[in-house]
Amino acid sequence: MDSGKHQSMDSQSKEPFSLRTLSVMRSLIINPSTPKPTVTSILQTLTGSLQSAHAASHQAHHILKLLFNIAASHPSLSQLVLDSLRSNLPKPSTSLAIEGTIESLDALASISDQGPVSLDDSLFVSLCFGPSVKSRIWMLKNAGLRFQVRPALLLGVCLGFTKDPYPYVRDASLQGILCLGELGVFEDGSLVKACYQRAVQLLNDMEDCVRLSAVRVVASWGLMLAASNADMKTYWSNEVFAKICSMARDMSMKVRTEAFNGLGKMEIVSEDFLLQSLSKRVLAFGKKKEALYQSTSEQFVKLATSVAGALVHGLEDEFFEVRKSACQSLHTLTILSLEFAHEALNFLMDMLNDDSVAVRLQALETLHFMAINGCLKLQEKHLHMFLGVLVDNNREVRYAGRKIHKVVKLNDRSLFKSSIDGLLENLVHHPQDENDVFSGFSHLGRKHKKYVGLIIKGIFEEVEAAFEGNFEFNSAKIAALLTLSISAPLLNGHIGSIPPVMFSYAVTFLGRIYCAFSDIKDRNALLVYLCEKSKSTGYSGGDAANLTCNEVIDTEIESQITKEPKEVANCKEVKQQSGYDEVTNFTNYILAKLPDMWPMIESGFTNKVLKSLRCWKEELVTMMTSNSLGSGDALPFTLQFLRIFKLLAEIWQHLLPTRFCSEIMGKWELRLGKLDKRVKELLSSFVGFSAEEEINILELILLTFALKLCKVEICSGNLTFKRLKTTYLQVESLLKESSALPSNFIVELGKLLHENSTSITDASSCSSLPFDKCLKLFSIKKFMFHGTIKHLKAELSVPNNDLEHPFPYVSGLPVGIPCDITVHNVSSRNRLWLRMSTDDGFMHHVFLDLDLFEGSGGVKKISFAAPFYRTTKANSVKLKVCIGVESLFENVCPVQIRGGPKHELVLLCSEKEVYLSKINKE
Amino acid sequence: MNLLFPQFSISTQGLKNCRHYFCQTQFDTPSENQKLWSIHSKEPPASMTIETLVLGAGQEVGKSCVVVTINGKRIMFDCGMHMGRIDATRYPEFNRISDSGDFNSAISCVIITHFHLDHVGALPYFTEVCGYSGPIYMTYPTKALSPLMLEDNRKVMVDRRGEEEQFTTDHIAECMKKVIAIDLKQTVQVDEDLQIRAYYAGHVIGAAMFHAKVGDAEMVYTGDYNMTPDRHLGAAQIDRLRLDLLITESTYATTIRDSKYAREREFLKAVHKCVSGGGKVLIPTFALGRAQELCILLDDYWERMNLKVPIYFSSGLTIQANMYYKMLLSWTSQKVKDTYSKHNAFDFKNVHNFERSMIDAPGPCVLFATPGMISGGFSLEVFKHWAPSENNLVTLPGYCVPGTVGHKLMSGKPSKIDLDPDTQIDIRCQVHQLAFSPHTDSKGIMDLVKFLSPKHVILVHGEKPKMISLKEKIHSELGIQCYHPANNETVCVPSTHYESVETSDTFIRNCSNPNFKFQKCSPVGTCNSTPTDRNLMPELQVKDDRVAEGVLVVDKSKKAKIVHQGELLLTLRDKNRV
Repeated sequence: MDSGKHQSMDSQSKEPFSLRTLSVMRSLIINPSTPKPTVTSILQTLTGSLQSAHAASHQAHHILKLLFNIAASHPSLSQLVLDSLRSNLPKPSTSLAIEGTIESLDALASISDQGPVSLDDSLFVSLCFGPSVKSRIWMLKNAGLRFQVRPALLLGVCLGFTKDPYPYVRDASLQGILCLGELGVFEDGSLVKACYQRAVQLLNDMEDCVRLSAVRVVASWGLMLAASNADMKTYWSNEVFAKICSMARDMSMKVRTEAFNGLGKMEIVSEDFLLQSLSKRVLAFGKKKEALYQSTSEQFVKLATSVAGALVHGLEDEFFEVRKSACQSLHTLTILSLEFAHEALNFLMDMLNDDSVAVRLQALETLHFMAINGCLKLQEKHLHMFLGVLVDNNREVRYAGRKIHKVVKLNDRSLFKSSIDGLLENLVHHPQDENDVFSGFSHLGRKHKKYVGLIIKGIFEEVEAAFEGNFEFNSAKIAALLTLSISAPLLNGHIGSIPPVMFSYAVTFLGRIYCAFSDIKDRNALLVYLCEKSKSTGYSGGDAANLTCNEVIDTEIESQITKEPKEVANCKEVKQQSGYDEVTNFTNYILAKLPDMWPMIESGFTNKVLKSLRCWKEELVTMMTSNSLGSGDALPFTLQFLRIFKLLAEIWQHLLPTRFCSEIMGKWELRLGKLDKRVKELLSSFVGFSAEEEINILELILLTFALKLCKVEICSGNLTFKRLKTTYLQVESLLKESSALPSNFIVELGKLLHENSTSITDASSCSSLPFDKCLKLFSIKKFMFHGTIKHLKAELSVPNNDLEHPFPYVSGLPVGIPCDITVHNVSSRNRLWLRMSTDDGFMHHVFLDLDLFEGSGGVKKISFAAPFYRTTKANSVKLKVCIGVESLFENVCPVQIRGGPKHELVLLCSEKEVYLSKINKE
Repeated sequence: MNLLFPQFSISTQGLKNCRHYFCQTQFDTPSENQKLWSIHSKEPPASMTIETLVLGAGQEVGKSCVVVTINGKRIMFDCGMHMGRIDATRYPEFNRISDSGDFNSAISCVIITHFHLDHVGALPYFTEVCGYSGPIYMTYPTKALSPLMLEDNRKVMVDRRGEEEQFTTDHIAECMKKVIAIDLKQTVQVDEDLQIRAYYAGHVIGAAMFHAKVGDAEMVYTGDYNMTPDRHLGAAQIDRLRLDLLITESTYATTIRDSKYAREREFLKAVHKCVSGGGKVLIPTFALGRAQELCILLDDYWERMNLKVPIYFSSGLTIQANMYYKMLLSWTSQKVKDTYSKHNAFDFKNVHNFERSMIDAPGPCVLFATPGMISGGFSLEVFKHWAPSENNLVTLPGYCVPGTVGHKLMSGKPSKIDLDPDTQIDIRCQVHQLAFSPHTDSKGIMDLVKFLSPKHVILVHGEKPKMISLKEKIHSELGIQCYHPANNETVCVPSTHYESVETSDTFIRNCSNPNFKFQKCSPVGTCNSTPTDRNLMPELQVKDDRVAEGVLVVDKSKKAKIVHQGELLLTLRDKNRV
């Protein structure tokens, strides 16, 4: 039947296809089961008729569409399609042909996945200069992005078309110029200037879209212009700044937003210009400087009116997009001048009163940035707004507010006192913030030892009274004050005026406050610290005047002397990675937030949860790639936990009564399998969990089994039930060892197992057990990442091997595969294996003896040749090699392959392909 | 240098069909100008001017009324009364429009920008007493709220002050029947030639700026407007237009206002401090505008800070006004519109009705009460009860009429106020002053003028010395001719007029194909630039001379035609042969 079809199509190729034929072709193309030869012959037919079809435009349109479909649904043919398109590009002689060409090019560019398609100069020019305006716009918009055109030519054409009478052409040409600016640097100064000047002229265009693009071009090419001329950099930067400022009062919201985005890119601006942008009144040029900066002064007089108040206008704009963008621009501008930063602070504080959460958050982020850069100089008048943030109704706003409190340096005792009051008030109004508030206190104390010393008397009295009197009364406040007190000498050995008994008091709150120190100490280390300090004799009896180190503490040299060697190493690590704090904060934030989301999942708001999970995941992944030097193991841990949580969320939505339907059962099972794998990975590839945490993870495993048993078919039920029982026993023994209380889920599960321990004989009976009841009681437990949790990971490389350079082998003889292995955080308890597998399912394991590894501490290395015995008679073999660790927790069904691991392997690195090829005797 | 091809936004296809091309007077260089000069060298005919007769608000604030004649069409913008006068000068001198008193033929339409009495107060008089029965345009909110304002004012004048009645309640109702309500950015074709369109002006709810176009002549009358948004109204918003004339208000012609955030912050701080100390806050306001503005501010703050202290509205009028705001949501600020789907910003979450019995109830609260200057009524009654406690707070508006309690409180810090010989109030409460002005400041005026870049500007609705200073500024900074006529003066400015001429095919073809060149020339105006700028190399400039390549020829029958310069000789030869 197929061959008949080909013939009929071949015979038609000279005449235009009927719509019916076209649709038959289309269904053949998109049907995945159509045999490849058929598709190929359709391709040939289409190619053959493409050239003639260009004359009649409507045919060409359909044919191009079909060709595109072929490339999309049969990737192996896309190269052929590309070639056929390339060789059949029509000559753009008439306006009809131009549109055909554009369509071909469009198809060409969408199919080609190897970067931009190169385009002939003359074709490009003839398309742009043709009478078809639509094509002109298309070409200008796509030239820089999807096609390769000589930059000089493209720039010339774009620049010329900024004079076009059609606004969309002007817009497209400005976009073209913008793209070019981002791609490369132009040497010719006058050309850069010409583009800039032209864009400046178009700032006054009648059309919004043109002005929008013009603002972008002015910002990016203006900076290029400034950069190209070192002598005049300030002059041009000021000029660009003023030009963009003049757009702050445009009537189009998008133009205004873009103007502030542009301001955020400025690299240098004279202080007078910056200050002028915060005042609507025209200021006099700084008197002192006048003689020094003659030229700047002249320039200032000329431009002051267009700069005047631009940022203020942005901050009080009607649209939150503009206000947000203006806040964001302050981010970079405040670095440029200290005086400006102080001035801008007054305005930023008012933005905390904004009605839009997005704006408040952006303002807080800018403040945080200023605090990190040391240009946040808080004053008494700011406090009302600044502390108001801490009792804001929005959780994220409060969090962002505390983030600033953690890094800000206060210059005044009363400010310090007010900050403490603010944080305490936060604790009263929003007790759920407790952990982070404590963390805020801990940072505040560390940074301001002097002020803690000054107010310690009052704190001490209050704490003392609380301990003597009603203990439970206002314990959160006491815990907070204790956190503050004990954190003061944390970075510096002397306890100064802090009564040692405070440290003993703090011990009683250890479980509650240790999280506040999780960035530098884990629970045990904190306990050691507290015990040590409580015995301290250096107490100076509350006499603040006697304090030797009366400074705001952050001199690490001093603190390192007094620290344990281990702590010093820790501390160095902290300092080395400036992003460390942020990473820990972020991961802990996520980990803390997850349990709160569980009720949402239970009540069916899964999509909403999944959305935020996705965002976090993306953020984590970007953090991981950017923090390549390994900012601790917090990121992989959080990511793994997030994945598990996500799977749980997805699985849970099928448990909800309305959503369950059998047809997606397969998917559900797949997810359960994934969940099983992920949880095991979590347990095996991370070490250093406390007993409590280990129980929590085992609980997740129990949950997985319970889920399997309650919904999945019976066939594998028996084994699963066995595993469930074993794991439960493990949990039970762990529970006995530690003092932790079992969760409701575990209790209920235990009851279920005990009640039915006699009656269960086979799988069919166990699947009828009411696991649903337990499931309802499940809730996710809170995990906090702390220093002791380590990520086991391995790096494996096989040098000098790739598809083109395979290792030679003689069939029947073993071959050595040289491996360079680096492992992290692996201890002698772990059993490491090198796994080699082939496509046909064969697996071979080599045990890696850790004693043979070199290196100390967390990182160990080895280079050795792993023997591979199963050299076949085939000409070449592809091996997959990877490193795994035996998971020790489960021992139900031995997976042992002769000579291999006794337990399941959890992979520590991704599989690496190794190529072998047989030596030919010739 | 303006843009070269303003008319080119119509499609080339359209150009070909109509065979007409409009030519513009503005060209890049004088030589190009000369080629086409012949058509414009004649004196413009009388109809090609815009004539502005200022009947009110000329060098003063009050009774806004401007009559503009564009190419023969007459529009009256605003029809206000002067609130400070009770004699005949309270109304504009309408007889200057038409001696015969036949206003219907003299005026094409009346446009009212917003519901304030100095903009709408004389309207019933003009329609019902003077007998104008032509179309009247105003926005929907203005149409809804104007009768309330007019009736309120009539009552005050006639019932309270016992003045002679100028128009009756029925007159107001009759007058409003003639009003055609329009929407923002809705283009209304008043008659064959006259087109009007309303743009958002801020200021008060429903306030609009009006754009009027007759033929090629275009102008904008702003009415009162505000260029910075507040909590409940947005900032003025207008398209970039090609205007011959802009008539703008200039109430604050020399003031530059700082950001009001600082004032809001102080206000919130004072209120928060007072209620957290257990005190009561009295906010005397007018029913419309300020009450809603402050209430949104407080309601937001309450929401954010999780405050539970009740906020009360005393008068029915404020509640009724809130109803209007709730319905007229599309005329409010972006923020209010954005959050509408979740929550109507005028459904104040923390606001309750106030009962007289609650005046002496214990505990903190915030109360909005009318009238705004504590000149009497409920706000005075509450004030009497609350003023003696130092825990309480009174917030006053920026301006109070002399003689009112508000004015006394603002001038100095009196410890006692004598209401009448028998009543004396002890003042121990705190007083906070909070000024919000719904008018644009001078920077806002400059920004608007700069954005619109009209050919001429006329200032109205302001004080003479300030207007002069602003006029100088507009002239020197923006290079725009500016006028500030007094009442009953007339200003004439030339208007744009495009001539349509026939074009040749070659010219059209040439125009539809891009044809730009680059050329290097020394920077223009070198003498003005800084020394560092001067020694730069010549600048690269882009030129597109398509239209400049056209040549205008006028044949014997006086018909003008544009041909491409290449065709010129050919055309001339043809002509000679004829």
